[in-house]
Amino acid sequence: MINVQDLWGKRRSDYWTMAIRYLRLIANSGFLFTIYLLFVFGSYYYGQFLQWLPEAFPAVLFFTVVFTWLETRGRVRTFMKQGDLFFLTPVEGRLAPYIRSSIFYSWIMETFWLALSFLVLAPLFFDRIQGTGSVLWFSLFLLSALKAYNLLTGFEEQRVLDKYHYLIHTLLRAGLNLVAVYAIFSVQPLWVIAVVTGALLLFYLGYYRRLAQQFSLKWERLVEIENQTVMTFYRIANSFTDVPSLKSKVRFRTWLNAVYSLISFDKKHVYHYLFARSFFRSNDYFGIYIRLTLLGALFLSIVELDWGRWLIAILFAYMTTLQLETLKNHYDTSQMVELYPIDPSMKIKAHSYWMNALGVFQVIVFAVIVFFPYGFLDAVIVLVLALVAYQYHIHVRLPKKYETSSM
Amino acid sequence: MNDLLKVSHITGGYQNSKPVLHDVSFTVKPHEMVGLIGLNGAGKSTTIKHILGLMEPHKGEVRLLGKTMAEDKLNYRQNFAYIPETPLLYEEMTLWEHLELTAMAYGLTKDQFESRSHKLLKEFRMVKMAKWFPSHFSKGMRQKVMIMSAFLIRPSVYIADEPFVGLDPIGIKSFLDRMVELREEGCGILMSTHILATAEKYCDRFILLHQGKIILEGTLTQLQEQANMPGADLDDIYVEVTKEDLYD
Repeated sequence: MINVQDLWGKRRSDYWTMAIRYLRLIANSGFLFTIYLLFVFGSYYYGQFLQWLPEAFPAVLFFTVVFTWLETRGRVRTFMKQGDLFFLTPVEGRLAPYIRSSIFYSWIMETFWLALSFLVLAPLFFDRIQGTGSVLWFSLFLLSALKAYNLLTGFEEQRVLDKYHYLIHTLLRAGLNLVAVYAIFSVQPLWVIAVVTGALLLFYLGYYRRLAQQFSLKWERLVEIENQTVMTFYRIANSFTDVPSLKSKVRFRTWLNAVYSLISFDKKHVYHYLFARSFFRSNDYFGIYIRLTLLGALFLSIVELDWGRWLIAILFAYMTTLQLETLKNHYDTSQMVELYPIDPSMKIKAHSYWMNALGVFQVIVFAVIVFFPYGFLDAVIVLVLALVAYQYHIHVRLPKKYETSSM
Repeated sequence: MNDLLKVSHITGGYQNSKPVLHDVSFTVKPHEMVGLIGLNGAGKSTTIKHILGLMEPHKGEVRLLGKTMAEDKLNYRQNFAYIPETPLLYEEMTLWEHLELTAMAYGLTKDQFESRSHKLLKEFRMVKMAKWFPSHFSKGMRQKVMIMSAFLIRPSVYIADEPFVGLDPIGIKSFLDRMVELREEGCGILMSTHILATAEKYCDRFILLHQGKIILEGTLTQLQEQANMPGADLDDIYVEVTKEDLYD
């Protein structure tokens, strides 16, 4: 006999073991710093934004729309797998503890996201809706309770097979949420809140409980919800690090073909040839490079502190080199490369060549961006600093990386 | 120095304590196509990996044109072309780029590369696919990329591991015709395969590997004599000599 409670616990911990590994990689990547920077600058401009925001801005409506969406979206995460369609369906009748755990888990996670969104919007809330902390906390409490309601009802709703009816149910739930969320953000008296709560509970007992008795679980839908959740996580993780489960797509980018003619037909250039293709076409090395360049340029153009810009130039150059460094491992699993009769020392030469070329391009972009608002001298400083970051990486860090890997 | 490839008393495998190959010796001479035959797990791929220099033998040595890999690392690999069992392609490169890269790696001139590539593309009916990426290729097309890359470099030794898998009949014919031509020119070919009827028709000699040892070796007539099965074809001999397994 399967103990479904244990099974659930094991699946949750399996997922988190995997997730934490990726989260650690994300935390170690340069991107976290970008988010931190974004946070620092963001909070500064947030205040300015609030002052600029016209008095007539419909804050209550805005909150209602945002949170109605947040309440309605998100489904119960069951950790169901494809194989369950075969192995777990026989015990569907005894699955109640498994589902309870899933709902509770999803409620905690969703409450976290609700709270995070609410905290981000808190200054707006204080400014336009209610000045007191107790109202804010009470609203958050109500939103979390409403989330629990949504997960409970949303789970029963999943039993409806017909796609159209399923959608109608979701829309119905969105309608209920709209009323409840509006009641919260228009700061209705307690008795109104109580009436709404009572009505929602009655509706749950009178309608959703019946759904649960009438219809069976829709396993394929549960697996699909689970897969979507995992894929979303993978996709986010993939923008920071390499996720093997997401088979990275090759992008042909034929408009870049001219770049390849930089490499002449020569035995010495085999790795140059290889790296050019891997960089521009696979794993989105190129996408990351462009994003970092644009983000760096954006920061350089808005930061008014001199040393702040210098720091940003160095940081973005260095973060880019860290990303380019991973090209080194791209062909590690390719047996054909190993068989080519070429001197292995060509590899680091080719790697440095591309790092240099891409570095020069990025640094020029940075310098030009700085030149227009801040003048020639500042552009030169940014140019030199970013170049130094690149040269450090190419001449000091990269050779070390190659040395340690050849042992 | 008449042997293109000389495998002498090789004992080897992934673990020193558990050798896969036991004292394997054979040669491939110019104008010779040698069939390497054995059941799944007999040690064919391990033998090939030792020849390619991807594994070092525990005992014995492999000489290619008289030199071991350790003696001349760069030139050693210049002298053979390898057609792997499963096509090893770069997903981010077009068919044409695969050929170009191979030509560069083996030091062909640009003219050599272009004239040979055009001929090969035509012969293997892949002209239209020259600018395609591997994600659009079928299994057989992928195999053709490996075969064309191997023929492009024109070394003196060819090592083919199950080259027919997934190929269409025209592909198989082009491949074999090319092999015969190369043999006439003086190349040596080592080919591992399970398609014994084809091997029987094309190979000059056979090496039958079984559980890491060579159990039979020679021309078809010699094999028939050794197995004491006059007139038998390769399939029958193969089944017969590997049957003993059932009793021990």
